[in-house]
This record gives sequence, structure tokens and C-alpha cells, in this order.
Amino acid sequence: MMHLRLIRAFISASAQEEAAYRANFYISLLHSLLNFATGLLGLGIIYGQVQTIQGWDYASALAVLGVYLTVSALRGLMMGPSLDALAGMDGEVWRGAFDFTLLRPVRTQFLVSVRKWRLFALFDLLLGLLVLGTAVTRLNHTLSLYHIAAFLLALAAGLLALYAILLAAASLVFWDPGLMVGWVFDSVFQMARYPVGLYPGWLRLVLTWIIPVGFITSIPAAALSEGLSWELLGVSLAFALVLAAGASWLFRAGLRRYASASS
Amino acid sequence: MNNAHIEVQNLSKTYRVPQRQSGLGAALRSLARREYTEVTAVSHLSFTIQPGEMVGFIGPNGAGKTTTLKMLAGLLHPTGGTAVIDGYIPWERQPDYLRRISMVLGNKSQMLWDIPPLDTFHVLGEIYGLDKTAWQQTVDELTAVLQMEDLLTKPVRNLSLGERMKCELVAALLHRPSVLFLDEPTLGLDVSMQRRLRQFIADTNRRTGATMILTSHYMADVAELCPRVILIHHGRLLYDGLLGQLSDQLAPFKLIRLTLDRDNGSADWRERLPEGTAVLNPDPANLTLRVPRRETSAITAYLLNTLPVVDLSVENPPLEAVIDQIYQEAAV
Repeated sequence: MMHLRLIRAFISASAQEEAAYRANFYISLLHSLLNFATGLLGLGIIYGQVQTIQGWDYASALAVLGVYLTVSALRGLMMGPSLDALAGMDGEVWRGAFDFTLLRPVRTQFLVSVRKWRLFALFDLLLGLLVLGTAVTRLNHTLSLYHIAAFLLALAAGLLALYAILLAAASLVFWDPGLMVGWVFDSVFQMARYPVGLYPGWLRLVLTWIIPVGFITSIPAAALSEGLSWELLGVSLAFALVLAAGASWLFRAGLRRYASASS
Repeated sequence: MNNAHIEVQNLSKTYRVPQRQSGLGAALRSLARREYTEVTAVSHLSFTIQPGEMVGFIGPNGAGKTTTLKMLAGLLHPTGGTAVIDGYIPWERQPDYLRRISMVLGNKSQMLWDIPPLDTFHVLGEIYGLDKTAWQQTVDELTAVLQMEDLLTKPVRNLSLGERMKCELVAALLHRPSVLFLDEPTLGLDVSMQRRLRQFIADTNRRTGATMILTSHYMADVAELCPRVILIHHGRLLYDGLLGQLSDQLAPFKLIRLTLDRDNGSADWRERLPEGTAVLNPDPANLTLRVPRRETSAITAYLLNTLPVVDLSVENPPLEAVIDQIYQEAAV
């Protein structure tokens, strides 16, 4: 209950911070529409020439794009802004303002994960859901309850994995405050807007299990377009949980390091 | 002492600091193999502070003041020693402990930059789980005392440094902490704002009974607020006691002020001064000499016997001069 009240307070403060800069609103709008348009255009160009690639037809690829836009929007809504505030030259750790975060009587990982919201991302979320909805209407089959449940669980696993990666990347700031692994990850994450099946075998493996950006979008999309086995769903959830536990451990190790190294 | 609010024993902190020579070659070498050196920031520091006490923590830059405060606030783990505050070990950072303390850092801000202070206070109220009525009461009370009601609705980035510091103080006191760490709270403020904030801090100490540790490079802050000071240098404790007695114990010299009889053989007074005496003011009507503390009585007697003295007084040097001397000499 206290956590929910806290999240509400953070959302309210973030909304006011966002409203302070009007120009940002228009830039964000442009960015969202460009992101949306380039994704659709890419798919349009590819599937204007072929019916399927490696078993992925237009509707399934559209589902991946829909998941990508939805996940990106959720990332931009809260995880991204909150965790990005730690790293970089103007980040909290570099400026020393992280001291105030540590002084709060609330679990630090919770605090650094939910304190900044970018409500404009709700517009991105709407676009993502629009693409996802369109993809669903173009599928060759009607969705069963299992399809939807598997999709939601796989999406939750994907989001958890994304959170874990972002948290782990942000934790590295405790080893080097200038380190911005998040930026490198952003570039790799762009690859997740297309089905991992489109990439060569070795890259597919890397993008599914090593830097699991494909895991984040392709598996939930597959749950809609072709269905997921219980086994793969179980493995996905377990994998996401392991990643989250690992990231949390890394964050705590980083905190201990901060506590013994900063001045 | 059993009822001490803050009890510190042999607290030590050593940092491992990367080190390299200047130049591009050294920079590239340090990418492959980084060399470290150990720096002792705090060494075997021990003291106790009673509930409600206001203690000044003084020392030159790099003496270890901020490091000590950060250890006591639970932000840093010590390398050795113990500290117990209100029954808690600070660096365990238990929520109950963190609810009892607060910290003001003169060179850092906890305010949300783009929105009015009132909104930061709202967020802090939720973080500390404050009841709405209690929160409102505290905000009203603090803003009235600090005369800052008109600042509450302006974005923080539009406020002056002094106005922002008022906001920092409210933010730090919202949850009514019983221990307050103030690290250079008057840094960069004009004398008038310094005086008003000092007054506010003194009132808060009296009103709430909170225990306070203050660090400041402005001796006026320390002299006005803290009956007791702890002086550290190179991380070691040099003095712990009343501010008024600091000069007595630490100044290695005293000042002798003399008025000489100009008509009666005082022209060659300079030649007749004993060894080890420094002339601070050469005007025979108000001659000021600095003499080694241990030889004060012998030199006074000698001066009375050899010079045509009309008036003589022995004084402790001004506090700033003593502190400056201690800072420069590195150790006493």
C-alpha cells in the first residue's frame, strides 16, 4: 500500500516535471511517430516482396513489432527514465546526489526503479497496442484463452528480463560513474523490432539467450501467432526470474562498492 | 557514557584511490593496469555526543569531516571501528534508523529541480510515510519560521542559493529527525542569509531537541551555534571540548599587548625584545607581540623589567588565527 502511494507521488511529480518543458512534448511526439513509421515501413518493404521469411509471415512480424513498440513504451514510461537517472556524467552517482537516495528509509532498488515516469510514453503504448491489435486481426487463427494467457505471461517474462538488463547496466555505474552500458544496449535492442527468426542461426542464439532482446519480443509474439508450449513458457519465466535475481545481486554488490568507495 | 546519543569508537576509513602519472602514455597504461594508493581519511576517531547536543565538527579541507558524517549517516562503511547512534549501527541502514536521521549537504540538493518545493515536500512526505495532517503542520510551521511561504509555488531552479537552502532545511526536517547532520549548510550564502539560517538552526535545536553535528568553514557558524567543537586533521582527533577553551589548549602562542612610555627610553625597544618574540604591531602605543605559550610568564617578567611599560595585557590569540595556525602546521 505504501509502495503504491509512493508510486502515485512519483507519477504526479514526474508529470509536473515533464510539463515544465513544452518543447519536449513536440520532440517526443515526433520521435514516437518516427519510431512507429520506420517500423511499419521496414516491414512493408520486406513483405511487399515476399510472403514469408523463415516461416514468419506479415501478421506474425507485425505482432513482433507490436510487442516491440509496447515493451519500448513501457520501458520509456518508467524503467528507462528511473534507471537512466543513475548513470552518465549528469547522473546521480556522478553528481553525488545518490547520497540522498541512500538516506531514504525505503528499499533502494525499488526507489531507483520507480521514481521517474515519462507519461508521454503512454502515447507510445497506444501506438504499440494499435499495431498489436492490427496484427491479431490479421492472424490466420482466432485466439484462444491459452494464447492470450501465454502471451501475457511471456510478455511479463520479457518485461522482467528487460528490467533486469537495464538494472544490471545501471549497476555498472558503481564501478565507473561514466559508464553508460544502457546506450549500447539500446542499439542492440533496436534489433528486437524484427523477429529473431530473420537473423542467422548464431545471432538468433545470441539475441535470444545471451543479450536476450529477441527473447523480450519474439517469444511473446510467437505466443500469439503460433502458440507456445508450456515448457518454453516455463523456461522463459524461469530465465527472466534468474536474470532479475542476478541483476538484483549485481545492484546490491554495486551499492556495497559505493558505500566503501565514494567520498 | 550510557545515555549518549552518538557513540563513536576508533572509527577509521581508508580509501583506495587510483593513481597515475600525467600524460597520454600513462593514461593508456592505466587502462590496462591501474595502480592504486591507499588514503587514510579517518583514523581511530572516538567521541560521544549527548541527546540534544549541538557539536561543531571543524578541520581543514580533506581533514575527514564529510567522510565521518557520511559514515554516521550510513552512506559509507568504515574500514574499522564502531559507531552506535540511538541504538543503531548507521551503515546497516535500517529503515527505522534512516527515519530518525537527516542530512543537509551545502553543495548538493535533494530538491526536484523543475517543480515547486511543495511538490518535493509531498514526495518526501510519502517516502517517510507521514500522516497528511502532521505533514501539513510541519510544512506550515517550518515555512512560517523561515518566512518562505511565497517560495513554495515557484520552480526550484528559479530560486536563489539562499532560498534553495531554506527549502533544503525544510526537506531535511519534514520527518522530524532526532539526529541532524549539517555539512556546510551556509556554503556560498551572503552574511545576512548565513545569520538567518544560523538563527533557524539554533531555534530548531532548542525547539525539537534534535542532536546536531555541524561542519562549516565559517567560524561564525561554529562560534554562534556550537558550544562544543571536535577538531580533526588528517583524520585524527586533535581537540574535543568547549570552543572557548580551544585556544587555551591548542594555541602554541599567546599575544602580549603593551603600551610603552614614549618619553622615557622606549626608542630602542625592538633591540631589547627577547628571542622567540614576533612583532605583530610595531606601534609603541599599542605594541602587539606573539610569544611562545610556555614562555609567556618569563617573557612578561622580562619585558616589565627592561622596557618602560605603561600598560600590559596577555591574551589568547583570536580563534581564527589559532585554527589557521593548526591547519597550516598539520599537527599540534
